[in-house]
Amino acid sequence: MHIPDGYLSPQTCAAGFVVAVPVLAAAAARVNKRVKTRHVPTLAMLSAVCFLIMMFNVPIPDGTTAHGVGAALIAILLGPWAAVIAVSVALGFQALLFGDGGVLAYGVNVVNMAIVLPFVAYGLYRLISGSAHLTSPRRVVAGFLAGYAGLTVAALCVGIELGIQPSLFHDANGAPLYSPYNLSQSITAMLFAHLTVAGVAEGIIAAVVVAYLQRANLPLLQVNHPGIPVDADAAAAEGARRRRLRPGVVAGAAMAVMVVLTPLGLLAQGTAFGEDSPDALKDKLGLSTIPAGLNKYAEFWRKTLFPDYGFASGEHPVLSYLVSAVVGILIVGLVVFLIAKLVTVATHRGSSTADARKSEQVRS
Amino acid sequence: MIGSPASVASPGSHPPSVPQWLLQQDVALCPCGCIGKRKKGSYLAKTIQGGAKLLQQVMFGEDVAAARGVLQRIDPRVKLMSLIGLLVVAGLSHSMITLAVMYAATLGLAAASALPIAFFIKRVWLFVPIFTGIVVLPATLSVVTPGDIVVTLWHWHGTPEGITQQGLLAAGRLVARVAVSISLVVLLTLTTPWIRLLAALRSLGVPRIFILIIGMAYRYLFLLLTSVTDMYQARQARTPGTPRHDRRARAFLGASVGTLLGKANQLSEEVHQAMTARGYRGDAKSLEQPRFHPADAYYLGSVVIFAAVMMIGDHLLGR
Repeated sequence: MHIPDGYLSPQTCAAGFVVAVPVLAAAAARVNKRVKTRHVPTLAMLSAVCFLIMMFNVPIPDGTTAHGVGAALIAILLGPWAAVIAVSVALGFQALLFGDGGVLAYGVNVVNMAIVLPFVAYGLYRLISGSAHLTSPRRVVAGFLAGYAGLTVAALCVGIELGIQPSLFHDANGAPLYSPYNLSQSITAMLFAHLTVAGVAEGIIAAVVVAYLQRANLPLLQVNHPGIPVDADAAAAEGARRRRLRPGVVAGAAMAVMVVLTPLGLLAQGTAFGEDSPDALKDKLGLSTIPAGLNKYAEFWRKTLFPDYGFASGEHPVLSYLVSAVVGILIVGLVVFLIAKLVTVATHRGSSTADARKSEQVRS
Repeated sequence: MIGSPASVASPGSHPPSVPQWLLQQDVALCPCGCIGKRKKGSYLAKTIQGGAKLLQQVMFGEDVAAARGVLQRIDPRVKLMSLIGLLVVAGLSHSMITLAVMYAATLGLAAASALPIAFFIKRVWLFVPIFTGIVVLPATLSVVTPGDIVVTLWHWHGTPEGITQQGLLAAGRLVARVAVSISLVVLLTLTTPWIRLLAALRSLGVPRIFILIIGMAYRYLFLLLTSVTDMYQARQARTPGTPRHDRRARAFLGASVGTLLGKANQLSEEVHQAMTARGYRGDAKSLEQPRFHPADAYYLGSVVIFAAVMMIGDHLLGR
């Protein structure tokens, strides 16, 4: 997957740098903000490890071995931005120290292996692992698929970069100047090699290391998984904690919703349905007689705290209107709080009896 | 090992510090293993060999960089700039003659810089046929590169198919360009100590943070490599016969990479504490201020003239 110098036109290489340099700058800024002065030693060690991971021979099922890039693993463990820097530095070593991958083609190699690969892998890993707990086998499977897909997409990028060369750069006789294969040929060749062998190796590296860290070094796995419960029990407790009804929150939410909806009342025309006084009924609907029951009970209760949303004395109409609104909201909130409280007490008692029954069964 | 290559190298007879068995190496192939020969063999032995090969290349490079030669005397910044310039010239040239002249020039420079010529040629021409040669062979056929057929190999519905002139030219050009590019990079990396190469990168505008990371990564690469080799040698010592490539082998791989990551993580904590204790606050200053010498100006001038002649010659030879 390391493209050597000579396969790509200098123009393509320049385009690679145009993409790679801003991403590297953004990655440095992001990582710098997150880990402050510690980023130099941390990233240095990571880069060294990344270089060594490329050296590891991954035993694959056909009896041979293959190498991975390790970018998917580092993206899973420390985030895609750290992986961008670590893989770029490792690629720099390979280009300048060992002649693997070109110097002019460095930008393009960074785009493929240090940008596309970790971001695709990390996105897929997050998607597949979802909210699974930290020691879940689902995370191992997600790691494998992330590495496999990340490397395959990176290989597709290499295929495209090589494949556009003959149609863009050829001499007067039609002889290609750089990589001679067109898109259909180069993409097929790159994808065949990576779908069958190299992608598997990258996936294996990510999966087996995640599995090992689940067994042996959870703190390292927790670095990039903050707040994710460690095992199934903790996940269940976390889920229960989230699902449990908190009366204060429910009451607050109900009040907030009503406050937000208040302007609707101002927009609505007319008066509220069914709240007319007997006199208004007479005027509006032209009723000649008012039903006896209505007449009897309309004036039944007169001892209100705020008659017509004002003080009983009728003074300070604006202030009293506001006070009545606040008091009303508070009372509604209190009622919702009490109802929620009742519900939680009831459900808690139910679940605790269920637990007691379960432990009873276990004991017997 | 990294710090004092100069003290062990004596002029004239080299490489003194590299054991002979380490020098029996094969060529640098794409390390991601996607192209090239797929050899069967124990993953344990291969990884240990890989580590030894890495050390060998580094030690060999330090030896050559400490020798007395033309390129060793030139300022790394000048070398780096001229490398990039010449790579672009090689990338832009269309004529095989231009590329051949450039290759001859790299051979001359290698000889003048006390590089072992046999190694230099082998490094390029073993790599090119294996990687590039096999890759471009099908490109000579009319199926890939249509054009004027030189050698007819078969007929397809009455149309002759075979090796085309355009295909041959394209393949030859690609092989030559790859050979020139690799030679140029090898010339720079073998004649420049890594630390000075880093300083050159810094003066060419690579941000200091990256230089710090690269420098420290290089420093600890060998420490971490030692622990990898230790783990693999211990595993090989307690594995009778040929290790199987099964589930347990992959679990071992996971354990060794995971342990390596844990070690690196702990090491970075300790190194950071040590740095902070010595007053590190996120910025670094370098003591060495490299200066230009007249030799650097001569070299730069001749590279510019050479590059210009190559470009003009390439234009005159026709596109």
